[in-house]
Amino acid sequence: MTVVAAGLNRIDPYLIPALDGVAYGLLVFVAASGLVFCFGVANILNLAHGLLYAIGGYTAAAVLDGGWASLALALVVGVLAAAAAGVLLAGLLTPVATGNHLGQALLTFGVALAGGSLLVAGFGPDDPQVRVPAALEGSVVVAGHRYAAYRLVFIVVAAVLATALYLVVRRTRAGMLVRAAVDDPEMVACLGVSPARIRAGVLAAAGALAGAAGVLGAPIIGPGTGTADTVLLLSLVVVVLGGLGSMGGTLLAALAIGEIQTLGVALLPSAAPFLLFAAMAAVLAVRAQGLAGTWRAA
Amino acid sequence: MPHTNPRRSHALTATLLAVVLTASTACGDDAPGTSASGSIKIGLLASLSGTYQAVGTEIRDGFQLYLDTHDGKLGGRKVDLVVADEGNGAQTAVPAATKLLKQDRVAALTGIVGGGSVAGVTPLLDETKVPLVGSNGRPELKDVSRVWHTSYLSDEPGAAIAQHVRDNVQGSVYAIGPDYQGGWDELRGFTDAFGKIGGKLANTDGKTTFTPFPTTTNFTPYFARIKASGAAAVYTFYAGSAAVDFVKQYAQSEIKDVPLYAAGFLTEGGVLNAQGEAARDIFSVLNYSPDLDNAENRAFVAAWKAKHDGSPTTYALASYDAAAVLDRAIGAAGSNPTPEAINTAIGQLGQIASPRGTWQFSTSTHSPVQKWYLRQVRQDGRALSNTVVGDLATVGR
Amino acid sequence: MRDEVVRRARGAVAALVLAGLVVAPWAVDDYTTAILARTLALALVGVSVALLTGVAGMPTLGQTAPYAAGAYACAVLGSRISDVGVVQLAVAAAAGAVLAALTVPLVVHARGVIVLMITLAIGELVVTVLGRWRSVTGGTDGLAGIPAVRPFWGLPPLASDQARYLYALVVVATLVGAVLVLLRTRAGLLLRAGRDDETRLRASGHRVPLYVAGAHVAAGAIAGAAGSLLVVAQQYISPADFGFDTSALLLLGVVIGGTASVGGALVGAALVIAVRDWLFGVLPGHAPLVLGVLFVATVYLLPGGVSRARGRLRPPRAASARSDAPPARDRATIPELRR
Repeated sequence: MTVVAAGLNRIDPYLIPALDGVAYGLLVFVAASGLVFCFGVANILNLAHGLLYAIGGYTAAAVLDGGWASLALALVVGVLAAAAAGVLLAGLLTPVATGNHLGQALLTFGVALAGGSLLVAGFGPDDPQVRVPAALEGSVVVAGHRYAAYRLVFIVVAAVLATALYLVVRRTRAGMLVRAAVDDPEMVACLGVSPARIRAGVLAAAGALAGAAGVLGAPIIGPGTGTADTVLLLSLVVVVLGGLGSMGGTLLAALAIGEIQTLGVALLPSAAPFLLFAAMAAVLAVRAQGLAGTWRAA
Repeated sequence: MPHTNPRRSHALTATLLAVVLTASTACGDDAPGTSASGSIKIGLLASLSGTYQAVGTEIRDGFQLYLDTHDGKLGGRKVDLVVADEGNGAQTAVPAATKLLKQDRVAALTGIVGGGSVAGVTPLLDETKVPLVGSNGRPELKDVSRVWHTSYLSDEPGAAIAQHVRDNVQGSVYAIGPDYQGGWDELRGFTDAFGKIGGKLANTDGKTTFTPFPTTTNFTPYFARIKASGAAAVYTFYAGSAAVDFVKQYAQSEIKDVPLYAAGFLTEGGVLNAQGEAARDIFSVLNYSPDLDNAENRAFVAAWKAKHDGSPTTYALASYDAAAVLDRAIGAAGSNPTPEAINTAIGQLGQIASPRGTWQFSTSTHSPVQKWYLRQVRQDGRALSNTVVGDLATVGR
Repeated sequence: MRDEVVRRARGAVAALVLAGLVVAPWAVDDYTTAILARTLALALVGVSVALLTGVAGMPTLGQTAPYAAGAYACAVLGSRISDVGVVQLAVAAAAGAVLAALTVPLVVHARGVIVLMITLAIGELVVTVLGRWRSVTGGTDGLAGIPAVRPFWGLPPLASDQARYLYALVVVATLVGAVLVLLRTRAGLLLRAGRDDETRLRASGHRVPLYVAGAHVAAGAIAGAAGSLLVVAQQYISPADFGFDTSALLLLGVVIGGTASVGGALVGAALVIAVRDWLFGVLPGHAPLVLGVLFVATVYLLPGGVSRARGRLRPPRAASARSDAPPARDRATIPELRR
């Protein structure tokens, strides 16, 4: 009995970080899911993805006034604005050949730089205040610990969003088209769906997802001068770790990154600055080695 | 060059040469700093884009405010203010400073947000013999003969508040800060002074906890450790976005009732608006507060509010004082205020009347010997603001 | 016949550019000279990026790692051993090569965007170490007060912007010349062949990973040498000089210049870095906006150029997720290579 209690005592300080890792991981997943479409489906390396999130974040800061109606409004406006930005980006990308990733990187990096400065010019250099509904402002008690109410609700909402996303990709015609486009882009082109329309549609969807993540995640990764870079980096990391184009893989990678950034930091505080990148380099290198190995054996 | 498209690389080469040649036509051969018409060139380097844009803008506006309220003159001479962008740090600050010093040939340099940028610019100061009157970041320097700061040394806020924390907290204190030079210095200032007067840290190994900077946006795991340590209070230093995240997450965490003491930057300026209610009751130590009651401050705050929303910050104040220092030094440097003469004159200024109260340069560190104030975030009309609740030590060496 | 004309024209332009660069310090002011010296150091890193990205087919965001290793080795170790530039260059190049050799196992089997992310991680880890290893590196505030070097035994120390620039120019010209010569040898041919059709080269008995590893170490040595030039040009180094934005700008500069061409990469990287530094001076507060617009405009103004970049970071199909297919590299570029 005392052994169990001692064990519980030992894991007790890590309960909240572990829970928070789920919240953080789900946020990173929703933010990165749009990039999965971009890279996995349309074959576009979109370095302006963080900008789309920031658009959602700044919308949230501008619209939210502490009421529920403003949260709904912010979500609608943020999703529409970021989706519109995605379509605009698709238009700008027209002259760059599909699959020319370095060309796309050049263009989208430029858009991210310019768009980021325009956002800061419009909303000011100070981080804006994000006012969530009063009921979500405080904290609740979870297993004897205080935890931010908003984050708890966010876990539920993001989990619903992730499930919906999975069902859409798996079960609907649009989702089938998307998966088909990953597997065989030429075949989809033969079906009479124009690549330009797929590109615009995919970037609009990516923008909508990033915008939704930006609005809902604003109290967690808030809008500011560095937001776009932070979100872009985390999204790239989880998309690549997740296997470039797999929703399930990306979700797993996002949750792993979430736990590394919270539980990992709580367990190994002295290694905190190295954890994220060391883990990523190790996983990618081992996987590349594995690929090379199976290939040589074949 | 195998497999090159020659025409394209030629076009690029031509463009590069064109850039070089246009840039070169801008060079002039005036004597550094002053021109025939009796005006004087001052270079201001501050982060006007990037992560530290909020602070950089305050620094530019503080200096400009002094010029605007003094007929655009320093030391009786019309000022030609050349502004350059420091960006995110030394990698952009050094070329921008090179332009101010070697192309514009300013008589004195001011501003500079980051300590790393200051360190990067110092070799240029030695080479061009131009003084820097810095208004924010201050690294550890071996030679300060041409470097002056109107701000503070990074370890001074912590040293100034240590006694107050020792007297008012029953129990141990948890020290936490960002993992870079500024954070190390700020926290060392506190922990050294606090330890000397018998204070005890709650951190597990007795050492300050440092969080990766600027990548940490989530402080929850650290709050869990603070909770487990049983600390009676927390001392911290964060600025900018990290300060917003820290304070907002603190207020929602399981240690929200543990008193929070901080270097004043945690709740200074724009970050306080973003923190909102979460910042209420936080104690902080700073060399300035807009509600200080003296004639210089009333004039300064009134002039600031006539041009800007909100109250001035310590960043704007330090830059305003840098202009005041240059004003008096240029006036005292005689009919030919060369950079060398200005540098000598700064060293002989003595007491300087300022909105923060009277201060003077330390002869050994060239940074202010000044009084520090204890402030608390309290309701002030409709908004929250930092209110002075007491005087702390006078610090400087 | 046409090839002959093109080659001659190319040689003439290269000679003209070199002559222009040699007389530049007397034609422009100290500021421009100082900026050019610093730009040369970064352009040399650009050459190493091009060597990996374009020639070996390994797009990299991590060349700042050997670059940083070279710079710190030169500043910390080199300046204690000797104040002679050639010695410091050797120390820096060795440090860069050693760091690159240590990271070979991480990158040698990866391709495309995976290399990009692994090298990004390596770069970030090195910057983190530099920021925290205070006793040696001076921490995040960096190292100042690095003594001036003399280029060769018996020569006076470099005390002016002109001298520092000319020293950097000589070093960069020598190293770039060496790289160009090396690429014309069998080694260069094999490297490019491996990039274009790895499977076929493997099938004919060549050990492609060995070539890739060799290129990686060589590129590390070049970046390390560039680090020593940065120390000379700037007399100050800090982790900020080696951050993600530096590696991103270098990669983009190399893309603009044409990834497979060493000369193009040199010019492209120099152009991007010079424009950035120049903008922060002349347009305070608007530099990122203008730089961003310039990047977008480049894609439109050089449509042929950018799309010619060897840009495919992942194969058209998601081959990287399958184990039955070899991780394909840059197949799209074979016809163009034969032009």
